[in-house]
Amino acid sequence: MNSSFGIKHILQFVLFVALQILLMDNLVLYSTGFCFIYVAFLLFLPIEINRVLLLFLGFITGFTVDVFYDTMGIHAAASVLLAFLRPHVLNLLTPRDGYDTNDSVNIHIMGWRWFLAYTLTLLVVHHAAVFFLETINLETMWYNLAKVLLSTLFTGIVVVILQLLFFSPKRASRRL
Amino acid sequence: MRNLFAFIYRFRAFLVFVLLEVLCVYLIVRYNTYQGAAFFNSANRYVGQVLEFQSGITDYFRLASVNGTLAQENAALREELLQYRLEELADSADVLDSTIYVAPSDTAGSNPYNLIAGRVINNSVRRTNNYLTLAIGTADGVKPGMGVISSNGVVGRVKTVSPHYSTVTSLLHSQLLISAKISKSNTFGTIKWTGGDYRTALLDYIPLHVKPEKGDTIVTSGFNTVFPEGVMVGRISSVEKEADKSFYTIEVELSVDFAQLSYVYVVENPLKEERDTLELNAGIISDEQ
Repeated sequence: MNSSFGIKHILQFVLFVALQILLMDNLVLYSTGFCFIYVAFLLFLPIEINRVLLLFLGFITGFTVDVFYDTMGIHAAASVLLAFLRPHVLNLLTPRDGYDTNDSVNIHIMGWRWFLAYTLTLLVVHHAAVFFLETINLETMWYNLAKVLLSTLFTGIVVVILQLLFFSPKRASRRL
Repeated sequence: MRNLFAFIYRFRAFLVFVLLEVLCVYLIVRYNTYQGAAFFNSANRYVGQVLEFQSGITDYFRLASVNGTLAQENAALREELLQYRLEELADSADVLDSTIYVAPSDTAGSNPYNLIAGRVINNSVRRTNNYLTLAIGTADGVKPGMGVISSNGVVGRVKTVSPHYSTVTSLLHSQLLISAKISKSNTFGTIKWTGGDYRTALLDYIPLHVKPEKGDTIVTSGFNTVFPEGVMVGRISSVEKEADKSFYTIEVELSVDFAQLSYVYVVENPLKEERDTLELNAGIISDEQ
């Protein structure tokens, strides 16, 4: 699996953003747990993807969601932040003998511990950025923190479910 | 010079990151004020079509409650009509007409507000700043800044319009203020939503000498050109007097269930421009909308 950006990823982009806008928009737990599943598109991109390309992809994804949510710039800012941090988090989590050529973000290949550490770290950063940008002040900080934690859990669980359902254990992220 | 390019190339990812974040912050600051008009929003034609497709499916699940609301509204209107008819039959007050002199050109009598009905195709209640998208636009006479009400009460203000769609800043928006009054005592204050529960809002600036009570009705004041006077906002659910404040802290239970909105009315005031210009020329700047 090289760093090619193919039709598969365009399909994933459309699927995840559509899922976000059409379904997850209406699914909020106790008005604190939000599910920003569109982030999964950025998480599941190939490991060796070009950093600059990744940043632009992050911006485009966040911007598309912003247009539908009427929150101009908030999701875009959070997604760009996530796209910037992703290579660094991947670096930190490098296995002992480096990444294999056919390694990809796949729970079966990389194992539970690696996958959860990778997903949850990036989700916490992204969700914190979204909720704190929404309410620039710190008045509702505790409520925001609760939102960040619950939403991270919610999105994390959905991401794991997607992995278990659609990502085959044998080959690198062959999807659908 | 070569070193400079080498430097830029080396830190290209970081520089692109900073550039994109600056762009995002610009977008946030520029477009997230509630009056700000933006090109990229859910009133955009293509976005509107996607949202309309979505609500085309979900609307079927709400038909029962929509019908219920319409029937209730019909009943209320019919009741009001009957009351007027009865009053007309028993009207013996012609003689009293001379006690109050109402100028024949008083705008309250001669120029009613026009209502434009619109279908809600996108709605949110759980974010910090909530918006609605309606399937009506400039082609139906909607303009930015108009008020939006439903059969139960105040909903919000039109933010942006495109030919066939419009976005509405919901009352559930941290920056939207609505001038309202306690209908019993005619004291006016400001309705403001502070986040959290979408059924309650705060009524600010009610001075301590009035005695608001639980259950009092809150209606719009009519002091601006956006909403007609007397549109229901909600009922007082709790009144608190705080030691260090010169105003009451009043919680209002909103009469509109924002999670159930299906059809709303955009309020068009034919005399808005005349009144706004007059007040502007006179140097009166209204601080609330």
